[in-house]
Amino acid sequence: MNLLNNYFLNSAFFAQSGTESAVPTAVSQVVDSAVPIQAWTNSMLVPIVLGAVGYLFIQHGVVKSKAYFAAGAVAVLLAVGFALGFTPGTFDSYVLMAFCAVATGGGIGFLTAREPVYAALGFATAVLSVCGVLFMQSALFIAAATMIVYAGATIIIFLFVLMFAQQTELRTYDVQLNNPLVAAAIGAILLATITMCVTKNNAILPVRVDSTRVMSAASLPDSLSSEAGKEASKKLDAIDPNLRYVPKLTAGLGRSMYTDYLLAVELAGTVLLVATIGAIALAQRTTETQS
Amino acid sequence: MFEYLKQSWPTLWPTLGAIGVILAFVPVLGLYMTFIERKLAAYVQDRLGPNRVGPFGILQAIADAIKLFLKEQIIPDHVYTFLYFIAPTFSLMTAMFALVVMPFGPVPTEYTEGFRYIVAPGIDIGIMMMIAISSLSAYGIILGGWASNNKYSLYGAIRSCAQFISYEIPLGLSIIGIIAASGSLNIEQIVSSQGGAIWNWNIFWQPLALIVFFTSALAETNRLPFDLAECEQELVGGFHTEYGGIKFVLFFLAEYTHVVTVSFLTALLFFGGWHFPGLTGPVDANLGGMLLRTFVLVFKVTMVVGFIMLLRWSLPRFRFDQLMGLAWKGLIPLALLNFLCVAIVLTYDLPKHYLALTALFLVAGSMVSARHLQHTINRPRSEGRPATNVNLTESAI
Repeated sequence: MNLLNNYFLNSAFFAQSGTESAVPTAVSQVVDSAVPIQAWTNSMLVPIVLGAVGYLFIQHGVVKSKAYFAAGAVAVLLAVGFALGFTPGTFDSYVLMAFCAVATGGGIGFLTAREPVYAALGFATAVLSVCGVLFMQSALFIAAATMIVYAGATIIIFLFVLMFAQQTELRTYDVQLNNPLVAAAIGAILLATITMCVTKNNAILPVRVDSTRVMSAASLPDSLSSEAGKEASKKLDAIDPNLRYVPKLTAGLGRSMYTDYLLAVELAGTVLLVATIGAIALAQRTTETQS
Repeated sequence: MFEYLKQSWPTLWPTLGAIGVILAFVPVLGLYMTFIERKLAAYVQDRLGPNRVGPFGILQAIADAIKLFLKEQIIPDHVYTFLYFIAPTFSLMTAMFALVVMPFGPVPTEYTEGFRYIVAPGIDIGIMMMIAISSLSAYGIILGGWASNNKYSLYGAIRSCAQFISYEIPLGLSIIGIIAASGSLNIEQIVSSQGGAIWNWNIFWQPLALIVFFTSALAETNRLPFDLAECEQELVGGFHTEYGGIKFVLFFLAEYTHVVTVSFLTALLFFGGWHFPGLTGPVDANLGGMLLRTFVLVFKVTMVVGFIMLLRWSLPRFRFDQLMGLAWKGLIPLALLNFLCVAIVLTYDLPKHYLALTALFLVAGSMVSARHLQHTINRPRSEGRPATNVNLTESAI
């Protein structure tokens, strides 16, 4: 329903923003009711460290018994229920939380699965649930792109290779990490950094679409973006400078990708180019050894 | 929760109604498509086809369904049980989930109250969402093949996986031209851009795109010219060798749902959707007009379904290297060529009907690539081919 609501909100916003209406206030209410940005406390480090320790235990084979696992699962469920009881939420937010929970479950499955195929499936679950989260945030394009690129192509190729290379019994490198301590440390630091950046105010400086740039989507010519659309993005500016211009047309999307997000697109292209060259080089070497 | 439901009921019930229509129609459609397919096959092969159960054998489909549902559920000992059960379910789920953004009747571009012929109207990325979800349908097949723990099933699954990944590229590339010309990813917008004269239908501007799209979409459905995943002579039954009864039905239904999806997409993107000479312009809320338009759309879809079914009995199955060659050497360059033409026309603001010139490119391009393909196809298999992953796969299979 969030999707439909946002659709109404967007279309109403871009259609009628020329005239004074109640829609901008509705948008600002939505913005206000979002998670407050200043939420970082040092106690957030505790679950991260606990998670890392738990991961190490699993890796060292300490937590093997199913009873321990069940106890952990029950504890997590209790904690989630407790948190939900105190979180004022709507139907949307519960759906969102369900997606987040499934994504976390997929990630845990990915880390703890003994067989590579199940690990890949856990990864797929995580990616698809993240797509669900993106859908709930009305980030439709990026959700569909993630679905096509990661779930639809990358993980399928993983499965392809895993199924071909499957051995009758598992190798040690399938089951045990070489250096779980380093892995856990790096993971914990990364997670702490990301949490800090997300929750601490102005840890990441807001990057805005540069509307003074000539070809930027925010400065589309009138044929591609109506006056109403420009007015709307100005009003969005006034409400929250972090809100971005939402391109309505496919042309606007293309413009935005090749101007505002040019660096990301170019970097992705470079990565693909390197991968292609690498694939060609590997294939060539195979031919030489065969002949 | 109750309050929430009460509040959102006006926007909720059309969605639930559309979901109900899809859930009710797809199984029946799948059932009767098997019957129609058998009748068509009989017609092609100069037989009578099923004619015992009911008048003209029309109840044969129901008899088949009852038989399949009441069959004993056999679970082989060697399968990975969890994935073995998940696979057919996932297969059908992705096939039906792709129908979410597909209009199955006339849908106005502006949202109106009341029932509408689509589950999720006004999704800005419509067609892209559809491609995204149908790209997931490879999971059902590959999981089924792997969970069966059977060499032939696995080979079938891996063949189909390679096929899926290859044919997704021309499928996506062929639609880009249409998107660029109509300026929207939304299927309703694409259809409404084809209103007016019959010459506005996309097939008359971009026949090349139609051919590339239809071929690669057919490959995505795993139907006969492309059904290497279940090649009986080589792989027993392919990925569904170990499946019987209702689990097999789910796989089968998924395949037929894919056929329906492809036919709808072809009709909507290339044949003007619910537009017909004399029945153009914006969609009105008039009930008779709506029903007439629905009939027009369904008629077009039926034609495409019939064409797909006749194709099955006209073309032999591809060899694996021919299959890969067709995608990588034939369809992808053609799709790029088509997109180049569209881009030129759009950039220099030429009249849209200049795009009909792609027909010339079609003739030239397909002649060139057909000769090229002929060369590669007729080359004996042992003659020095570079060892790529694809060929590794093939030699292993």
